[in-house]
Amino acid sequence: MQTTYSRRTHSSISALSKSARNQSASKLALRSAVGIVLFLSTVPMIYLFIRAAQKPFGQSVDLLFRAKTLQVLGTTAILVLAVVVLTLIFGVTLASALHFVRLPFRSILIIPTVLPLAIPSYVFTYTWIAFVPGFSGTFAAIFILTLSTLPYVILATLAGLRSVDESQIEVARSLGLSNYEIFFRVVLPQVKGHISAGVLLSALYTLSDFGAVSLLNVESLTVTIQNIYRASYDRGAAAVIALVLIAFSTIVVIIDDRVKNRTKAGEAVKAPTSKQVLIESKGTRLITLFILTSLFIVSIAIPFYVLITRFLDNRVTINWPDLLSASLSTLLVAAIGAAIALVLAAPLGILLSGRPDKFTRFAQRIITVGHGLPGVVVGLALVSVGSKLGVIYQTIFFLGFAYALLFLAKLVASINASLARVPSGVKDVATSLGANPWAVIKKVVAPIAAPGISLGTILVFLTAMKELPVTLMLRPTGLETLATEIWSSAAINRFNEAAPYALILVLIAALPTFLISRPDKADRMFVNESMGSEK
Amino acid sequence: MSSLEISHLSVSFGEKVILDDLSFSLKEGQIAALLGPSGCGKTTMLRSIAGLIKPNSGTIRIGKQLVSLSSLVMPSHKRKIGYVPQDGALFPHLNVAENIAFGLDKTLLTKDQISQTVKDMLLLIELQGFEKRMPSELSGGQQTRVALARALSIKPTIVLLDEPFSALDAELRGDLRSQVIELLRARNTTAILVTHDREEALVSADVVALMREGRIIQEGSPEDVYSLPISPAIAASTGEALLLEAAQSDDGSISYLFNNSLPPETSKTNGQVVIRPEEIMISRSISSNSAKGKIAKINYYGHDAMVTVKVKSQNVIVRIPGPFDFQVGEEVSLEHTGPMRFFPSN
Repeated sequence: MQTTYSRRTHSSISALSKSARNQSASKLALRSAVGIVLFLSTVPMIYLFIRAAQKPFGQSVDLLFRAKTLQVLGTTAILVLAVVVLTLIFGVTLASALHFVRLPFRSILIIPTVLPLAIPSYVFTYTWIAFVPGFSGTFAAIFILTLSTLPYVILATLAGLRSVDESQIEVARSLGLSNYEIFFRVVLPQVKGHISAGVLLSALYTLSDFGAVSLLNVESLTVTIQNIYRASYDRGAAAVIALVLIAFSTIVVIIDDRVKNRTKAGEAVKAPTSKQVLIESKGTRLITLFILTSLFIVSIAIPFYVLITRFLDNRVTINWPDLLSASLSTLLVAAIGAAIALVLAAPLGILLSGRPDKFTRFAQRIITVGHGLPGVVVGLALVSVGSKLGVIYQTIFFLGFAYALLFLAKLVASINASLARVPSGVKDVATSLGANPWAVIKKVVAPIAAPGISLGTILVFLTAMKELPVTLMLRPTGLETLATEIWSSAAINRFNEAAPYALILVLIAALPTFLISRPDKADRMFVNESMGSEK
Repeated sequence: MSSLEISHLSVSFGEKVILDDLSFSLKEGQIAALLGPSGCGKTTMLRSIAGLIKPNSGTIRIGKQLVSLSSLVMPSHKRKIGYVPQDGALFPHLNVAENIAFGLDKTLLTKDQISQTVKDMLLLIELQGFEKRMPSELSGGQQTRVALARALSIKPTIVLLDEPFSALDAELRGDLRSQVIELLRARNTTAILVTHDREEALVSADVVALMREGRIIQEGSPEDVYSLPISPAIAASTGEALLLEAAQSDDGSISYLFNNSLPPETSKTNGQVVIRPEEIMISRSISSNSAKGKIAKINYYGHDAMVTVKVKSQNVIVRIPGPFDFQVGEEVSLEHTGPMRFFPSN
């Protein structure tokens, strides 16, 4: 080193080391916070492993391989496979039709295809049971879950299609390819990753769904877990089955990862000015309109028809105070959940907004993996952990905390996606203009990322409102939310009583769904984060 | 404005060495151009000066202030450096005036002072009346100018420009470049311009630094780096260069395409001679000291033309000012008039 150590050099060295110390101190604080959140988010998993390990090994093996368990596994696998295949076929077809075919009111046609997201699967199911007496069994469950999760695939595919450069299609056409060939050779390879993301969501939703399957008397893994937990309070056994469920969702996530890795090259950036060429064929247009109308009838018109007629039939006996208090507690608990989720996600978000190191990336990945955790599983783990916590257990705050853990992955994913929209050059420039790291976050990162993050928080709020199994397991004694009221009436076929609660829940949930279905928002929100599954 | 002194700066990302014991200095008010292929470490050097990267070792001094000593670094936001990245990186959520005022300290300046500075800056970049425009409503060149104004508004110690003109089309690019350089000179700004455009480097800078693989391998005035390259490869990176096989005898005389006078049995060193296309005269008359050839190709640029002449199976490129009346296939004679640059092999 050639530096001559004059007095000035010494003073500037001490200034240098002081500022280095300040930087690392605040970074350490943030990292510890992230460490705590990381620990909290893995508590359910850790608990389940401990619980399952405590059970004698022989018993666990017996439990896993008894005929009943294998049958449940078979049912779950059939459900997931059928829903995956059906949503794949219908979702991709419908999204392509919406994107490529000239249709009247094209830009708003997407809204009815997305609206089913606002209808919790248990509400959807009970309206169909009310509409078609004797509606139950595996086929009914496949029908319901396909319709409920179709929006995920449609939205994800649409997002992918929008990112395909129109001029590529024109080039392909000039090279003599037919529309059919263009779709399979040019378009599909580029949107595979998007489609896979959408199908992943519908598979995870199906795996973790509890409301629809139990109303339809289909015993899937979630129902078994709830039954074991209810009937015997044998939490060891429930934990073993829960681990099977987790293994199931892990496989789904891994398959999705594989597909995505193979389509990495397809991340084309589209020039925003390119003009779209639409399919004008009359036959195609008519068929598309016919399919869209049928979809609208079965997934929107019928549920709403049932809800509204039942509501009107029931006018006299509506218990208004109960309805009001259930609505208010739903809003309150969901808001607490969203707020806690935001607090838990904040430190990670701040670290991600700078130059994330390995630890930050690791924490983000682990937390994001958690979005495959079914509500039943998280509920089961938190019941056991919570019962040791004394006063806080069975309060609305603990329920809110459970929501936060359950939906943390969604929020982190949405924060990450929003932060990715902040160009890194902009942060560098802000720093060079004298903004310290906090000022950069406050003046540059936050204003740009805020809309996305608040939309993500609203989605957590919405999802928490519709959540069923965790609410059933962890709500304070005497607290009724819209979801639990609907559940308790619908489970004993008192559809008229459930109708007002369901109608209110769907109407509240429709608002944010409407927000995300706006075409400009839809693509950015969808690919990265899941929303809506009430589990 | 301040001087800059970098000594023995090394930066590596994991195993990969990006900057390798790099030293460089710049006097107050000088403009330097960093020229090199992509991946040679230009941007990393700039980011180290700006404090956006933590170097592994070495020192950086801006003016009299030591800002980086090994891994002890002064945080970027305390350095007062004007940074203009490739795409301008205007804050998309702020309008032009807010972008320019971003770095101005609101606790030290009054509202009037700030709006006056913004006005002065807009006058400087000739965008008066654009205060309320959003970045998305500006053209590429306007965005670059606003980014520059934003960098200059904080009265920076040094201005760092990272290929600010690369996204612009050729015509606009030349105009904007000379405007920006003029602006920087008028304010006696110390600045570093990263570029991979050799013409841009030669036109703009007082000092041209040529980078390869994390090192500065030659630096000097534009004239020096152009006419006194330290290697044939460097010659090629600052402009068109003709590389000819050559041999030097013990007495210093060189034999090559234009002068094959050495007796074959003398002991000699093999190497290359580097000639710029404008250092060769082309004519129809035959003199003793010339090489004969046939015109194989003419690339016409308007103000001049590059003529490829085939001499003994060797293509020689000659720059001639237009207008001219040579034609492809014509027999001509070539004469080397410029300096002799001989580089022994190895």
